[in-house]
Amino acid sequence: MSVVKFENVSKIYRNGDHELRALDKVSFSLDEGKFVVILGPSGAGKSTLLNLLGGLDSPDEGTITVSGTDISKLTDNELADYRAQSVGFVFQFYNLIPTLTVYENVKLVSEISKDALDAKDIIGRVGLLDHLANFPSELSGGEQQRISIARALCKNPKILLCDEPTGALDSETGVMVLKLLLDMAKNYGKTIVIVTHNQNIAKMADVVIRVKNGRIRSIEEQESPLSADEVEW
Amino acid sequence: MILVKKMLRTARSYKAQFISMIIMMTLGIGVFLGFNMEWKTIEYDVSSFLSDTKYADYRLYSAVGFAEDDFEKIASIEGVTAATRFLTVNLDIKGDSKKALALNVSENYTVSTFTLMDGKEYDENSSGIWLSDKFAAKNGISLGDKMTLEFQGTEIDAEVVGLIKAGEHMICVADSNQVMPDFTTFGYAYISPTKLNDILKDKALKTAADELRGAGLPDDVIGQQAEMLVTDEVLKQTVDKVYAQINLISDLEKTELEDSVSEKLGRTIMVVPKEDHVVYKEAMGEAEEGKAMGSILPVLFLAIAILTMVTTMHRIATKEKTQIGILKALGFKNRTILLHYSFYGLFIGIIGAALGMVLGYFVCKAVMSENGMMGTYFDMPDWTAATPAFCYPVIAGTVLLLALISFLSVRAQLKGTAADALRLYTPKKMKKSLLEKLPFFRKMGFATKWNIRDLMRHKSRFAMTLAGIVGCMILLVGGLGMRDTMAGFLDLLDNGISHYVTKVNIIENTGLKDAGQLIEELDGDWESYSGISIDGDTAVLDIVNNTGGRFSVVDEDNEPIKLRDDGVYLCLRLSSRAKPGEYISFSPYGSEKSYRVKVVGYNRSVMTESITMTDRLADEMGLDYSISAIYTEKSSDEIPASELISGKQDKRQLMDSFGSFVEIMDGMVLILVIAAVILGIVVLYNLGVMSYVERSRELATLKVLGFRNKRIGRLLISQNIWLTVIGIAVGLPAGIGTLQWMISALASEYEMKLMLGPLTYTVSVLLTLGVSLLVGRMVARKNKKIDMVEALKSAE
Repeated sequence: MSVVKFENVSKIYRNGDHELRALDKVSFSLDEGKFVVILGPSGAGKSTLLNLLGGLDSPDEGTITVSGTDISKLTDNELADYRAQSVGFVFQFYNLIPTLTVYENVKLVSEISKDALDAKDIIGRVGLLDHLANFPSELSGGEQQRISIARALCKNPKILLCDEPTGALDSETGVMVLKLLLDMAKNYGKTIVIVTHNQNIAKMADVVIRVKNGRIRSIEEQESPLSADEVEW
Repeated sequence: MILVKKMLRTARSYKAQFISMIIMMTLGIGVFLGFNMEWKTIEYDVSSFLSDTKYADYRLYSAVGFAEDDFEKIASIEGVTAATRFLTVNLDIKGDSKKALALNVSENYTVSTFTLMDGKEYDENSSGIWLSDKFAAKNGISLGDKMTLEFQGTEIDAEVVGLIKAGEHMICVADSNQVMPDFTTFGYAYISPTKLNDILKDKALKTAADELRGAGLPDDVIGQQAEMLVTDEVLKQTVDKVYAQINLISDLEKTELEDSVSEKLGRTIMVVPKEDHVVYKEAMGEAEEGKAMGSILPVLFLAIAILTMVTTMHRIATKEKTQIGILKALGFKNRTILLHYSFYGLFIGIIGAALGMVLGYFVCKAVMSENGMMGTYFDMPDWTAATPAFCYPVIAGTVLLLALISFLSVRAQLKGTAADALRLYTPKKMKKSLLEKLPFFRKMGFATKWNIRDLMRHKSRFAMTLAGIVGCMILLVGGLGMRDTMAGFLDLLDNGISHYVTKVNIIENTGLKDAGQLIEELDGDWESYSGISIDGDTAVLDIVNNTGGRFSVVDEDNEPIKLRDDGVYLCLRLSSRAKPGEYISFSPYGSEKSYRVKVVGYNRSVMTESITMTDRLADEMGLDYSISAIYTEKSSDEIPASELISGKQDKRQLMDSFGSFVEIMDGMVLILVIAAVILGIVVLYNLGVMSYVERSRELATLKVLGFRNKRIGRLLISQNIWLTVIGIAVGLPAGIGTLQWMISALASEYEMKLMLGPLTYTVSVLLTLGVSLLVGRMVARKNKKIDMVEALKSAE
């Protein structure tokens, strides 16, 4: 059953007379519980796609349906509610609030999510119970990304959206984080969409969507994706 | 050239910061310069006017007058440059009992002269009158008009031959009870000594004729006989009695002069230096007030302006770090980059200083100009603005300081290699503060914790915001409180002290025996004031009979005192001289005797520095005194004519004369309130924007997580509200302290009690909260425009 549906979605950036089609009539759908990788070089339009799916931006043309709701027509406040209830984000630079502790960063989302999970439980699952009272700046990059994953999951969203989640990490830590991300998503039954230019990550995906120049080049379903340990980094 | 273009474009991208820094600098320099120019202008213009009109350094008073011999002896004292016998007496204008003039005669016109504004030059033989130009203008009197003055039944007719301004009456008040000049009811005039002689001769002839007529002489011989009685010698004695004052110019110290006068005349004479004369005392008091105001408000503004500059330039430099790195990587020398960025501070400094100088000039002119606030107080011809010399290096120093601040902020970013400079600025890491260890901290909501930690992380911003709010409160409480205090003072004077309708001034040397009948007729209380010396300092001995309740003597708490007969009351300004129970000695002027008396309490004197006692105590001590004024419930029209009356003063008229004083006060309060609001808005907006920029990444994260704009806005505003509440809590006592300090600075002139009405508290708190909320909303609105995608790209 498809949880996400893009139909003829375009995003156009205008600068005076100049017009840039970041996405050009893109259509695809994603099934629930799948691990999807959106792959493409810089400027291909993959981050734009993720931003539209995450409700950070609205398309200029077309419709985006998530769990039956057309999010392309939502108001600012409705989009905020959509982000609060339906999607969890994991960013390249973690984007934790520097003035909140590990626990508070994760617990924060329970203030806006109606169906939030127990923050301590999730922090325990990402292995950072010993660091509850630490500030992000007292943690390593890998640890910060684990907290970022915990925060995204704590909302109990339908979809996890990850923008180059290992981009700022060394390969060893990157593998560890990816493993954790996949395990957690599987345990909680979430759909994961990762945007990356790293071909290796694509080998782990159920579905790989290749993007170039704002268009979808291919959508490939992989019957036997590799585990993080099997991939050569 | 390209770097100049870059500078201008950068300035545009930081326009909120640049504009606010320029406004702060303009306000800082403007208020600093304006207040300092104000007191300097008072000193400069007053001194030159007083010097031009040969204002006396000393006034010598004798109740029996000064004979020509006395005058010669005094004029010959070594160190006395010029001297004149002088007469100043308040006269009514015929046909209008509410209008009066101080009529002056300077016998040899070498001291206490006037400046001619229009008409004829001074002529010692003229029969005309030189009238205050302001009094003439207010009363529609022109050159050539005839005037009739009345004095103890004698009518004085004269033609207005000149319109003048005189240093002796630069602050033109009828007596020490009147605070503000009111030229519609009271002015001054000069006549020549020849004219005075003629008046006195006519009066003497008339008196002699009346006596002769009373003795039954026929009318046709009365004139001739009277002429024979009023000889030159008789006339000379009359003139000597009239000149109760000698004004002189001298560099001698007061004690030296007193000793020399006593030695020459063989008796003590009341010597009043210019420092104790209303004109010099009040004018210099205003200058001192200006200095006091000039040393607190401008310092506040300038300090906040400089601190805002430090914070803002540091933030700009950190934001510009990559650009600084790019310039360095391109091969620009550190010196060129430093110069380029130092020019930012210099640019802001120069523009701010130039605008500040213009503002300062107008602030000064708003106070010190003929149409300004002091225009109703001082009557002088020249209002040229003057600047204290130290202002120029302070302004130049401030501009250079701003350039230095820019220089140092950028130098910090230039440290290390080009690669180091190219790296983004990383803010300070979070550390746990002591606050976190407190048990209640854990129970706080996330928004509260977030805001507290943010403030701890950005302490300089926190301190600056607080300083802005505290400054805003100090200005509001200080300004509005000053008005309350003045209103309280006037209320005390009107309702707490003066319960009479008319104050009747009695001519000098009228004893209780002579005035007894008049006091009875008027059913009045009375007062006697005379000059005394306390350890060489001049004060007033106030002998009081207020058994009828026509006026009260009040204590420190403004409560009426039931005066005791076993001792004296010292006014608050003299309270340091003796404690209750201790003794104080004084010596009346013109007497060799010294009296020692117990102090039984303190009283709040609304005007002069004084010692107050009951008439019963004065009689017991054997003091020789004369009645100065009678206070009655009768209106001016109901008071019978009497030769003992030298003038009448309506209480309402007196209170009305405070009207323009209150207007001046209102003007000052308005300036302070506007300054407070501008200060609040500029500082809070600038720092609010800075806070928003610094936290934009965090705000974007909250937005991405699903927080609504309104909730994020509330988060921002809540920080503002906290800071405002803390600022108000600190600013309120600080404002009261500042007000108390300002009142102490005025203590040499008035004994005012600090008063703050509930409206002042309400307005100060609400206005500060209002400014904070307004600015908070302005900043919070920016939140809607936050670019989530852009803000999330960079690393913290």
